[in-house]
Amino acid sequence: MTTLPEVGLVRSDELPEVLAAVDYDHAPYAGGTELVPAMGLGLRRPAAIVDLKRVEALKRIDVDAEAGAVTIGAAVTHRRLSDHPAARAHLPTLAAAASRVGNARVRSTGTVGGNLCFAEPRSDLGCVLLALGATAEVRSGLGVRTLGIDELIVGAFETSLEPDEILTTVTLPFERPGMSYWKLQSHERPTLGVALVVTEDRWEITVGAATERPTRIALAAGDTAGLDAFVDGLELSDDMTGPPDYKRSVLRTHLERTLGAAR
Amino acid sequence: MNGSHASTSTVVRCRVNGQQVEMLVPVRLTVAELLRDRLGLTGTKVSCQMQVCGVCTVLVDGNPVSSCATLACDLDGAEVLTVEGLAQGRDLHPVQEAFMAANALQCGYCTPGFIMMAVALLQAHPDAEAAEVREWMDGNLCRCTGYAPIETAVAVAASRMRGQT
Repeated sequence: MTTLPEVGLVRSDELPEVLAAVDYDHAPYAGGTELVPAMGLGLRRPAAIVDLKRVEALKRIDVDAEAGAVTIGAAVTHRRLSDHPAARAHLPTLAAAASRVGNARVRSTGTVGGNLCFAEPRSDLGCVLLALGATAEVRSGLGVRTLGIDELIVGAFETSLEPDEILTTVTLPFERPGMSYWKLQSHERPTLGVALVVTEDRWEITVGAATERPTRIALAAGDTAGLDAFVDGLELSDDMTGPPDYKRSVLRTHLERTLGAAR
Repeated sequence: MNGSHASTSTVVRCRVNGQQVEMLVPVRLTVAELLRDRLGLTGTKVSCQMQVCGVCTVLVDGNPVSSCATLACDLDGAEVLTVEGLAQGRDLHPVQEAFMAANALQCGYCTPGFIMMAVALLQAHPDAEAAEVREWMDGNLCRCTGYAPIETAVAVAASRMRGQT
């Protein structure tokens, strides 16, 4: 068994203390589903990990019925999100997607914040959250910023977080009618994810997993030329799950079938 | 707080298979290392160390986790169940019995992980149907027995456990 390198532990149940400790050498740590293997492989070698799991504010799921929004703490696990009654009631597509992230063990410990901040392109949550119009609250010891998901995730394995910042919460408006999420997956991570919000006059399409980061477009319903241009223009990844042409073909077929846009 | 002086070891108090454990552990120690090297519980196996194969599965507060990729410091206050904790004396757990009856193991290396996954599922969802079992187990790899006898074993165990309650 690979033994991990020596590492320190910073632990507090107070958010300001956690924020004061985080920097590049003091890595935010929650589920460890990405950080621990990365440390084992020698890809990341922090002097200390800063445990976020004892901070109550990072573990809450709050519903604001008046605003029609749910706020999810960054250290909420996939299982807790998928089982949570408010998430299932107001964000059913997200709750269902969370119930299929990784595998059952990853869902026990892996967190919403970890998933987003690792920014692995082959992820479900980034795609679904962008489609939902989520905003992310980011904090450091110096202040707070609110970002859209496309401002948080800026590339493959890349976020706009500064080394001393952590993602604290994501806030999502209640899911609108006509939303769905579908993915193609043969291993631990999705090959292609497609979130749709379809109404009588509008197609909102968000594509993830096969793109560097989730990519969204809104079209007038029936705009098949616009749909073609969007699908043709996407830069799709070339990896062991398939070449770009294959992923484009799957994406086009899925969209044509679900949008009734086949000609 | 000055993080640069963060301690590299910490005290963990937890229960493992019903026994109280209190130990000073290095922060870098994984749950698998704690179980196998410190407590002599070698029923839990280790393979991929990437949370992909499932052989190292143990239950923490009833939830399945990959013990190879979870730090022992996270067990503070937790209830841990390993494959050694399933039998009551000489009486095997219904899931263990079913794996034997259905010939759901061959080399046996993946077996503790599959059994702990099945126990976690059936404790939370005694009425799990075949599709649910398959979905729940899709993160566990077996390279010699094949999955059909394992699915059969879980179905047999589920019906036995429902009969007992």
